[in-house]
Amino acid sequence: MLDAKPLEGGKPAGAAPVAARVGIGGPVGSGKTALIEALIPVLQRRGINFAIVTNDLVTREDAERIRRSGLIDPERVSAVEAGACPHTVIREDPTLNIAAGDDLEAKFVGLELVLFESGGDNLASTFSLELVDWWMFVIDVAGGDDIPRKKGPGLLRCDLLVVNKVDLAPHVGVVLEPMLKDALRVRDGRPVIATNARSGEGVEAVADAIVAAVLFRA
Amino acid sequence: MMSILQAMWQADGSFPNGSFAFSYGLEGFVVLRGKLDATDLSELMSTIIRQRWATFDRVALLRAFRAKGDPALIGAVDREVEAATFGEALRSGSRRNGASFLNAHARLGSPIAAALRSDIRTGTCLGHMAVMQGAVWQETGLDERLAQLASGYAVASGLVTTAVRLGVVGALQGQGLLRACLPEIARLAAIDSPENEELSSFLPVLEIASARHAKADLRLFAN
Repeated sequence: MLDAKPLEGGKPAGAAPVAARVGIGGPVGSGKTALIEALIPVLQRRGINFAIVTNDLVTREDAERIRRSGLIDPERVSAVEAGACPHTVIREDPTLNIAAGDDLEAKFVGLELVLFESGGDNLASTFSLELVDWWMFVIDVAGGDDIPRKKGPGLLRCDLLVVNKVDLAPHVGVVLEPMLKDALRVRDGRPVIATNARSGEGVEAVADAIVAAVLFRA
Repeated sequence: MMSILQAMWQADGSFPNGSFAFSYGLEGFVVLRGKLDATDLSELMSTIIRQRWATFDRVALLRAFRAKGDPALIGAVDREVEAATFGEALRSGSRRNGASFLNAHARLGSPIAAALRSDIRTGTCLGHMAVMQGAVWQETGLDERLAQLASGYAVASGLVTTAVRLGVVGALQGQGLLRACLPEIARLAAIDSPENEELSSFLPVLEIASARHAKADLRLFAN
């Protein structure tokens, strides 16, 4: 018989209560950072105490963009380098991200939510559930209406699929409704939300999904 | 036999401790030198193993190992590593790597890892990687020899993995370089380290490269 010690609950010793952790993944350029920028004021209006961890692939571009946005206290934004491995840092070895989340929790008393933005890669990236409690995957219509039919693990396994940049559909030859139907079909009906992070369309619905899933508020 | 398996477990690059994000200064060196080939990399790896790992990381590891869980002794070695490491990028990288290493072991149920992680929160410990490895591996059941071998192997294999990702060498070429390092690691690990041996290292080019890298706009690794 294996002598398997129980795993620790995943949060810093002696730290309570603990923040919910939400992952935001998806291909490079799909609009993850723009979605976060759109979510920040929505979450703030709802009185949610939150912080952000970004995983930039080769720079600190995303972290600096959010810090300089003026939307959030820069101290609440932490950057973790992905070491050329955007999958590894959120899945095979999420320990740097876990530590970054722990540090933010230690720094901001009463923190309720930490958003982890993946450095972006392809349709295969998924989050470890040792890092996050719930995660969404962001694709965009400009990537093509066949993206849902390609069924990458990220797209299939996420708790919420966000189809962003819906305003670009007519300009890139995409008919949105069939694309969304394909997305729902390949996900067996699990949630799909269409957004335009620039205009704010659909962003309240994304915030509703986060709040209902991990903050247990109506 | 069990301690050998434990050492293999800890030297395995798939153990989640955040090491994949740190290049040990190699990325900065590649940028500084421009083109680097397998011979250059082999020489660099040998230099790092002889002039940093053997005399600095290995010594810190052994001193923390011999502290047998005493937080005051572990903290003292940790502060020496901080004071003797050139450049903020290498210091903070070592601390972050150590914190991730502790996180993994704490979650796997190691009491000393959980205690050291709390010490980092309170500032009584800084969490440098080699020191944390020594402290945790002593509790895990490795002996001094195996702890040194696991540490040396992890450094060498981390350098090869980094070099492959940077495109300096191919995967098979990298394994050839790693194999070539093994006798040197074994030889150096057999050298006795007296109690309270002082830490020393001499890698000025790598330290300068690392300092320049910290300011680079484009980079794959944290240091």
